[in-house]
Amino acid sequence: MQKVEEKHLNGLTVSKLEAFVNDIKSKPDAAEAVNGPWRTRVEWQGGLRAKAYMRNHVANFDEPEGLGATDTAASAHEHVLSAVGACMMTGLVFQATRRGIKIHNAEIALEGTFGDIKNWAGLTDESTPGYPEIKAKIYIKADADKATLEHLWNEAWKRSVVAQTVTRGAKIVPEFEAL
Amino acid sequence: MSDTSLFPVTVVGSWPRPPWLIDGLRKRQSKELSFEEFNATADNAVLAAIKYQEDAGVDILSDGEQRRDNFYSFVVEKLEGLNLMTVAQLLNHVKDRARFEETLRALDVPAFAMKSPVAIGQVRAKSGLATDELRFLKAHTKHKTKVPLPGPYMLTKSSWFPGLSDKVYPNVEDLGVEVSKLLRNEIIALRDDGADFIQLDEPILTQMVYGAEGAESFMCAALASRKDPTEELSYALELMNRTIQGISGVKLGVHVCRGNWSRKEDVLLKGNYGPLLPYLMEMKLDQLVLEFATPRAGELEVFKEYGDEKELGLGVVNPRSSDIELPEVIEKRVREALKIFDPSKIFLNPDCGFGTFAERPMNDAGVAFAKLQSISEAAKSLRRVEVGIPA
Repeated sequence: MQKVEEKHLNGLTVSKLEAFVNDIKSKPDAAEAVNGPWRTRVEWQGGLRAKAYMRNHVANFDEPEGLGATDTAASAHEHVLSAVGACMMTGLVFQATRRGIKIHNAEIALEGTFGDIKNWAGLTDESTPGYPEIKAKIYIKADADKATLEHLWNEAWKRSVVAQTVTRGAKIVPEFEAL
Repeated sequence: MSDTSLFPVTVVGSWPRPPWLIDGLRKRQSKELSFEEFNATADNAVLAAIKYQEDAGVDILSDGEQRRDNFYSFVVEKLEGLNLMTVAQLLNHVKDRARFEETLRALDVPAFAMKSPVAIGQVRAKSGLATDELRFLKAHTKHKTKVPLPGPYMLTKSSWFPGLSDKVYPNVEDLGVEVSKLLRNEIIALRDDGADFIQLDEPILTQMVYGAEGAESFMCAALASRKDPTEELSYALELMNRTIQGISGVKLGVHVCRGNWSRKEDVLLKGNYGPLLPYLMEMKLDQLVLEFATPRAGELEVFKEYGDEKELGLGVVNPRSSDIELPEVIEKRVREALKIFDPSKIFLNPDCGFGTFAERPMNDAGVAFAKLQSISEAAKSLRRVEVGIPA
């Protein structure tokens, strides 16, 4: 029997990507499974340090020394910026690969400024402690014209799980248990 | 005296590369193309760059640096012991990544587009750095030729990276000794092969004076280890003179600018040549190839106290803008220079190359051509009107 050569593009196996798309399109259970729920568990590590466990992965969090912290890892809000960027990158690469576009380099620079840190510190209720706006600029080198790449970039932001979570403001449901 | 002996029109070096050449460069870097295969492709790009310059009326031509990824990283093909690394790769080795990020933001550049040759072994010559480029250029033009080379300070500082280079060269100065010898041999070889003008590129000298304190530059990953500006400029002067002292029979120049990686003027450095001139004037070379087409470069008056001891390669067009400078505007700028410089000491050129970094050209060939034509028109008029020589 003749062996079928797997097609790889952008470090992905194209047939697997298409199989995934077909599954969530045609099998409701498959789409449900991917929808979630997604879980993470955050443990306090002393000081302002925390550790997040996500499936079999771990991420560390800390705060800058100015806060009296130890600055051993990025802050949670910096992870949010990175998560927005990484998620948009995922979408862009996914869409580009499905269209057969080879990406040579891609890099996203993100930036946000707090509404007012005094709100975070409990000194005021004015403004917001969060980022009222996040700037995201992509630098990309790929085998496609500028209009196509710009379209992919817009799609990436409109269809990004994290970007849309941030933009639409997910409802947070706090629960509490003291031990 | 020939028509073009006054106000010769020349280039700083690079010409925008066609997309197929950039594709070839990528393939060469990923070893999909051999050096010979890539060069065969690049020959066509060089021929086109020559034709553009000749048609535009350029008197002293370069090969457009078409075979180079950028003006200094190309040396990895020609020297042993160097590895071409992107800033994205270097970020894994930088101690202060936050400072690097600040610089990336300020310069508005992606980390993947900036590449630097990093010394990871004993740096030795495999072949000439640019003798092959010169041979091809001379075989295809009757005009005079210019060969740009990375300056000794630039090459030394950009190639020494803490954590990667110090195993072979404990200090940056140890690498400087090697680089200086290599460049000296190269300059002599190029002269013997008939180069008319050799230009040593030292753009990071302005970073010493006008860059943010402690900021790292992508042309100079090791700037984190830099000392104070005076010491650095003294070292740059010492390295330059060690490299070129006593070499005659070829015009030698140094090129200094304030950045050529973004069209946003506000992210590029700003400040006049005053603080640099005491060092530039001590360099044992003929010409200072300087940008002067934007207000960022400051006034020509700073030369007053030095007179026209050295020739001036006067930058008269901005390689990063789409607007074509009018010949009349260029002439006006030259007349300002004529208050300080003898006509025989003024060469006309763009502020910098049109495609310093292959992946990030500042203009397309059409605009670059029109800008060179404008310089050429201005030169003709100056020869005719200002100096009274028929063009």
